Amino acid sequence: MRRDTLTRRAFLANAGATAGAGLLPRPAYSAQTPAAPVALARCDSYGADVSLILRKMFDQLGGLGRLVKGKTVAIKVNLTGNPDARLGYLPIGRTTWIHPSVLGATVRLLGEAGASRIRILESPWKSAEPLEEYMISAGWEPVDFVNAAKRVEFENTNYLGRGKEYVRFPVPHGGLLFPAFDLNHSYRDLDVFVSIGKLKEHRTAGVTLSMKNCFGITPCTIYGDGAGVNEPGLVPQGGRGPIHSGSRQPSKTSPPEIDPASPRDAGYRVPRCVADLVAARPIHLAIVDGIESMTGGETAGRNNRHVRPRVLIAGTNPVCVDAVGTAVMGFDPMAERGAAPFERCDSTLRLAEQLGAGTRDLSRIEVIGERIQDVVLDYRKAGAAPAAS
Amino acid sequence: MAPEPPAHQLVPFRWPAAWESPALLATLTGSPINCVIFDGAPPALSIAARKFGLLSREWKEISPAPIHQIRWNTPDPVIAISEARWPHLKPATRSGGDQGISGPTGAPWIESNTWIIRLSAARAPDKALWLQFTPPPDIELPQQAYRLAIADVFAAGGRWMVELDTRLAAAVAAGNGEALRDWSAVKDTLVFFEKRRAWRTFPHQGPLGVISSFSGANEFMGTEFLNLAARRNMLYRVIDRSLVEAAVFKGLRALLWLDPERPPQQVVRQLTSFARNGGLLIVHRDASAPFEAGQRLDCSVSGYELRVLGKGWLAVPERVWEDPYWLAMDVHNLVSRRYDPVRMFNASSLWVHYSVPPNGTGGLVQLVNFTGRAATSVSLRIQLPHKNVVIHTLESGGPAPLKPEMVEGASEYYLPSFSVYAALEVSA
Repeated sequence: MRRDTLTRRAFLANAGATAGAGLLPRPAYSAQTPAAPVALARCDSYGADVSLILRKMFDQLGGLGRLVKGKTVAIKVNLTGNPDARLGYLPIGRTTWIHPSVLGATVRLLGEAGASRIRILESPWKSAEPLEEYMISAGWEPVDFVNAAKRVEFENTNYLGRGKEYVRFPVPHGGLLFPAFDLNHSYRDLDVFVSIGKLKEHRTAGVTLSMKNCFGITPCTIYGDGAGVNEPGLVPQGGRGPIHSGSRQPSKTSPPEIDPASPRDAGYRVPRCVADLVAARPIHLAIVDGIESMTGGETAGRNNRHVRPRVLIAGTNPVCVDAVGTAVMGFDPMAERGAAPFERCDSTLRLAEQLGAGTRDLSRIEVIGERIQDVVLDYRKAGAAPAAS
Repeated sequence: MAPEPPAHQLVPFRWPAAWESPALLATLTGSPINCVIFDGAPPALSIAARKFGLLSREWKEISPAPIHQIRWNTPDPVIAISEARWPHLKPATRSGGDQGISGPTGAPWIESNTWIIRLSAARAPDKALWLQFTPPPDIELPQQAYRLAIADVFAAGGRWMVELDTRLAAAVAAGNGEALRDWSAVKDTLVFFEKRRAWRTFPHQGPLGVISSFSGANEFMGTEFLNLAARRNMLYRVIDRSLVEAAVFKGLRALLWLDPERPPQQVVRQLTSFARNGGLLIVHRDASAPFEAGQRLDCSVSGYELRVLGKGWLAVPERVWEDPYWLAMDVHNLVSRRYDPVRMFNASSLWVHYSVPPNGTGGLVQLVNFTGRAATSVSLRIQLPHKNVVIHTLESGGPAPLKPEMVEGASEYYLPSFSVYAALEVSA
C-alpha cells in the first residue's frame, strides 16, 4: 500500500495501538497483529534537509503534536560501541551510530510540537560515564541538542543513574527469554518512547533498526559481564556478553531467564531478548537513520563497507518500521532463520510479531512517501571500501 | 679531550654483562650513544670506551633508585630511576590470539612509564631523567618492542638507559645477522629521537592540574591516578604539593586536590581564586571544609556535589575516593573532554602526549602505539587555533606536511599509517 497522507486520528490510533499492543495477550503469528503506516523518504545527506524531510514525514504520519504536546518524551539513541572507533576515517554517525543531525532534527521537531521535556537516553558500552561525554568522545557537541528544544536532558541508563531504584517491566504473556526486565527509571518516567535506530545489519540479530536499538536499554549492572551476583553492581563493568551467550544469569534481584536450559546460542537469545524488550517497553515512535550506514554488522573492521541508502524511515509501530527497513536493505522481512539477513539467528521481526508488537508483513503495511522498490539498496552487493590509509 | 656533553645530550647505554670484548664497542657505531654504563666490568672496558670517544659511567656512580627513594635535590644533573616498567600491551593469558588482557572497562591493559617521568619532571624540572627497566627475555618482534620502549619514555620527556635482553646481546656479540638488523633498528630509532631531543624539554600541558604530595599515604592514589589518567589520554600537568604556592595555573581548566590533608590557608586562597576566575576545583572530601561555595548545581557525574564558586565551580565527592580507576574516570568526566587540546579517532590503544615549546607558541602532539600492529586510519582534531601541521614518524622521518580535512564542520588531520610513534608539530 502507498499513500501520501494519513489523518491525525489514524496516527494517534496507531500510536495507541502500538503502545497498548504489548500489554495484551495475542496469539502467535496472529493476522491481527497491529499494522501502522510507515513514512519512507529520500534524504541525500545529513544537511539541513534532514529537518525538513523529517517534519514532512511526521506530518504524513499525522503530526507529532498530539502525540507529544505537554509530554515527557524519551529518545533511545543508537550509540553502540567505542565512540572513537571509525570505519576508515568516516565519522561514526555515518556508519555505526545514528547521525547527530537526525537526533538534533528530531529533538527540535519534538520541541516545536510541544514536548515539555525531552530526555536522550543510551546505555553506552561498558560505561557509567555521562552520555554527554560519550558524545563528545565521538566528536559530537551535546550542547547542540540542548539548544534544539526546551528542557533537554541526557541520561546514561546503563546503571541506576539518577534513579533510586530499578523499575521492573514485565514482558506481556510471559516473554520468550526473560519474563521481565529491571531497567533504569528513565524508561518508566516518560510519556512517549522514541527509538532512533540505524539502517544496518547485525551479526546476532540480523538487522539493527529501531528494535535491536532497544537491546541497549538493559543495564549492564544487572545484565552485563561484571554485574553483581546478588544485587546490581554500582557501575557497569563489561558488556552484555551474558545475554548473548547465556554464560550467567542477571543479578539475583532481577528475574532470571525463563529456561536456563534453552540454547546458549546468541542467534537464538539476542533476537528473543530484543522482542521481549520491545514488548515490555513499547516504542511509540520509531525512526531509522538510513541516510548513510555500513554493511556487515555493527563491529567496524569486519569487512564492513560504507553505504549511502539515502533514506529516512519513521512510524509508530517499530515492527512495521523495521520490516520496511529490512526490505530497503534488500532483504525479505518475512525471511526465517537461515535466509538473509538471518543466516545465523532467528528473526527479531518474527519474534516481535509473535509477541503481538506488530506485523512484518509488507502487504499489511501502508508505506507513505517513497516506494520501497524505488529506494532499495542491496546491502550484500552495495558499498565502497572504507577510506583507509 | 672533548668536553663532556651536557646531561640532556647524554645518550646512555647499559653495557651487557656478557660483552667482555672491547671490540664490541664497534657495534655502537652509527648510534648516538655517547655514554656507556658499566656495572662491575673490567677496567679495560672502561678505558677502551673512553678511547672510543665515549663517556664511561659506573652503575653505582649513577645510583639509580625507585621513584619513591629518589633524592630530588641532588646536585647531579641526572636523576636515574630504577624499577620502571617495560612498556607494552599485556598479552592475553586466557583466550590467546591477539587479544590483550582487559582493564576494568575492557580496554586493553597497557604498561607505560609516562606517569613516572611526568611526576619526576614536576619535582626536578631541570634534571635529565634516565629510566632503568630490563627487557623481558622472550621478546617477540624485538624491533617493534625496543622502538616502543624508547618512544614511550621519549614522548613523556625522559630517556631509557638502553639495555639489550640477554638473547639479543648474545646474538649481536656473535654477529648473528638477524640480531644485527634488530640492533641496527634500535640504533636508528635512537638517531630519530636524538634529532628531536629538544622535544624532551617541552613542558607537558593539559586542561587539568593534579596536586598531591604523591608520597607517603598519598603515594598509591596519587601515582595510580597519574597512571590511569594517562591511560585514558587525559592530558594533565603534575603539580607537586610542596611546590603549589609557586605554581602558575594559567591555561588550566581544572585543578584536582588529591590528598585528604587540608591545604594551608594561603593555598586555599590560591585555589579559591582559581575557581572564582572560572576554573573547576575538584577537592578530596576530607580536605573540602575550608572551601566555601554557593548554590548547588546538577552534576552529570554521579557521586559529586557541584557548587558555584565565583565564575567557576567546586566539586566534592560524596564519598572518600578509594579506587584510582574510578577517580580517573570521574575527574575526566568532571573536567570534560570538551577541553582536550586534541581529540583522536581510531586510537584506543594509542597514548597521546601534548607539550608546548618553551616560547609558548604552537604545540607538539606525540602518539605512541602499543598495539604491535600498524596504527591505521587514525585521525585527530586539534582544538587550538593553528596555521599548519607537520608529521614525523619512524618510518618516513619528517617533517612532512599534513593537510586539514573538513569533517562535519571540524578540521581534522588524517594520519598515514605508522608503527609505533608519530609526532605532529602544530604551528600557531
